[in-house]
Amino acid sequence: MRRIGAAIVSLAVFLAVWKLVSVIGGYPVYILPPPEEVVARAARAVGSGILWEHSAVTLLEIVLGFAVGATTAILTGIALGKSVLVERVLSPYIVAAQAVPILALAPLLDIWFGGGLLARVVICALIVFFPIAIATMVGIRSTDPLLAEMLRSLGATNAQRTRLLEVPSALPVIFGGLRVGVTLAVIGAVVAEWAGASTGLGVLINIANQGLFDTPLMFVALATLAVIGLAFYGLVVVVERRLLSH
Amino acid sequence: MLPPRLTLACLALILAACQDAPSSDAPDSAGIELREVRLALGYRPDVQFAPFYLAQREGFYADAGLAVTIEHHPAPDVQRLVADGQAEFGVADATDVMIARTSDIPIRYVSTLYQGFPVAIIGEAAVIPADPAGLAGMSIGTPGKFGSSWHALLALLEAGGLTEDDVEIREYPQFNQVDGLSNGDVHVITGFRNNEPLRLEARGTEVGLLTVDEVAPLPGPGTIVGDELLAADPALVRAFVDATAAAQAAVIADPDRGFAAAEASVPTIAEDPDVARSVLDATVALWEGDGFADGAIDEETWSVGYETMVRLGFIDGSVPLEDMIAADGG
Repeated sequence: MRRIGAAIVSLAVFLAVWKLVSVIGGYPVYILPPPEEVVARAARAVGSGILWEHSAVTLLEIVLGFAVGATTAILTGIALGKSVLVERVLSPYIVAAQAVPILALAPLLDIWFGGGLLARVVICALIVFFPIAIATMVGIRSTDPLLAEMLRSLGATNAQRTRLLEVPSALPVIFGGLRVGVTLAVIGAVVAEWAGASTGLGVLINIANQGLFDTPLMFVALATLAVIGLAFYGLVVVVERRLLSH
Repeated sequence: MLPPRLTLACLALILAACQDAPSSDAPDSAGIELREVRLALGYRPDVQFAPFYLAQREGFYADAGLAVTIEHHPAPDVQRLVADGQAEFGVADATDVMIARTSDIPIRYVSTLYQGFPVAIIGEAAVIPADPAGLAGMSIGTPGKFGSSWHALLALLEAGGLTEDDVEIREYPQFNQVDGLSNGDVHVITGFRNNEPLRLEARGTEVGLLTVDEVAPLPGPGTIVGDELLAADPALVRAFVDATAAAQAAVIADPDRGFAAAEASVPTIAEDPDVARSVLDATVALWEGDGFADGAIDEETWSVGYETMVRLGFIDGSVPLEDMIAADGG
């Protein structure tokens, strides 16, 4: 209850500061719309169905992109953590891929993968991959060596050590990576839509900003993305608490 | 570890260094006070802006009492910056001006830069239909459902008795629809007549065009100003418009002169001067259209374009045409 109260107070302060900035700055609506203007526009966007139409597509991209990216990243992170050779071979490519601005590569990825949902999921997964893979590698490497030695002396196979010891002990660190990754999935979906899409919140931002000059609608799309990011982050935290409490 | 006061002082210095230099009137070489103004352009420094470079370098603006600073911003920001007075002048698509004005952004179109509408349907010569009705069933690559490319596409479809549902739209928001066409992903694309066709020809494609001017006339890009400036200082607006038109006429009369000014202002031209020169020649043809008119606004084209934009639902007609343009250029 106290947590909900704190969240409400925090939101109220945020809205008050936003309103204050728009009033003191004297900004017109097309530069910085006040919160009530954005809320009114959101109501119209919900009523017309446009917000859900675009949000549904982005949600699907986030879920699929995060699932593909996180699964691949955890498997890769385990391999990186367990084998120095694998790390030496793969990590330069992984780090280099992370250093390349995906925004520049995304239009080409869109063409390579046929421009549909697959292309957008791939772009989203690529953005999600790095923090989760690195967190998993670090988590696996931080396994207690005494426990590992004990399992080895009991005759546990490599797969058993991974399943019974290394992955469970790495979970807190892996979840740290998943928390970062899930927020990046939201950005990944928007980047993918900016590379080529007809619907989605990234597309709605473009249409509102470049097509309609409707700044309040752009803020509605941005706020929706923020809410989606918070919701997915919260979901990861809930899963983390349930798993780690055992 | 720096003491807190020193840290704050350093932060203050860094922030102060990040501030733009304060604007002030600048003297020209003859010691006359020039009025400093900012010109907001979309896109990036490019040969197609040759008249502005020429006016800046050869004194057209200085003779008009102006010291012009050229800035580049994303296209939709140009309207907002000009409306808010953060730039005195801007260049924008006329169709975007209609929408921005209808969305309560207080700007006006004060002079025409392109007599011909620059957007066309582009593809292999063998694929391009003879008229808009021939687009039925085709897949069309376009940057998105916004901007002059989208307006021109829907105007063409309407002229051909078609709607969006009669074609397949594929969006390329990063403006890489040329790659989509070359890759065979779409039949045709929307693009600028002074850009995409040249890039396709450079790849060995025999290019065909379906233009809007003859079938669905829309006004071309031009100069915009904020309502406030237009009301407060119409003489300033007039001086800018006239100086720009004079420079543009000079480039039309002698493209070599304009190209030299662009080369001096845009270092990247040196990387491929032949392509840049082709872009300039194609751009000059668009400026001229069916006759260069020193920036004058063709009210008939605006009127037809306005009605088209209303019919297509881009604007609702609540803001009359005369509130969108200042036909006397201020």
